[in-house]
Amino acid sequence: MAGTTHALNAVADGLRLPLEFAQSGRSPIVALPGTGEASPEVKAVFDEIAIFCAMDRVPAVFRWMARDPIFLQGYWGAVREAFADRKLDRLTKEIPAFAASMTAKSDYGVDLHLREARRLGLTEQGLTKAVEVVQLFNTVTKIADALQLEPDFDPRSRP
Amino acid sequence: MEIVRIPEASELAPEDQPFLEATKSWFKIDFVPKMSRVLLSHPEFGRPYGRESRRAMSDGALTRAQKEMIVATVSAIYVCEY
Repeated sequence: MAGTTHALNAVADGLRLPLEFAQSGRSPIVALPGTGEASPEVKAVFDEIAIFCAMDRVPAVFRWMARDPIFLQGYWGAVREAFADRKLDRLTKEIPAFAASMTAKSDYGVDLHLREARRLGLTEQGLTKAVEVVQLFNTVTKIADALQLEPDFDPRSRP
Repeated sequence: MEIVRIPEASELAPEDQPFLEATKSWFKIDFVPKMSRVLLSHPEFGRPYGRESRRAMSDGALTRAQKEMIVATVSAIYVCEY
């Protein structure tokens, strides 16, 4: 989940794709294919994305990927799997995705994942707590890296 | 390799010992993590920071597990091994 979020954000911000929900003055530096010109295979993926995200359109980052339909199909399949309800529910996954976006200073990711988290039930109080944790651990990780602290735990061990 | 000497828990101020013990209970471990010792080597910073961390990470509008996932994600984005 963290990996696909970071990768999608890198593409969306790198290409200056417009934010999906908030107002922004961003203009894409590439031409985005329209949904109307999609092949049946691509349209099927687009429909699935729109339903998954409960949107009336397809996020620009996936429209960009449709320039290579095989890549779109494969990558969307991975994203869908990463964010699907499994052992963790979608909200529990969307909150760290928002945190990852905020940490990486991704305007596109913050916009997209905050909307998704809210849609899935994140309250304003929950958002406040999530941002507090992001802030606290942006501090801790920087202190740890600056002092080159070695881990206290073996990450393979289980409590 | 760490670039500072990390104090032993026993070297830290007596008034911080209850918090250090509570930290062990919080993480269910039998030692005090390095970060706690580093932060409390500067108590004017470490004490309020530690209190706020404990408060922020407690179950509430988000569960502690959800918050720990946020922490893991922030660490992953920064590739912070600690």
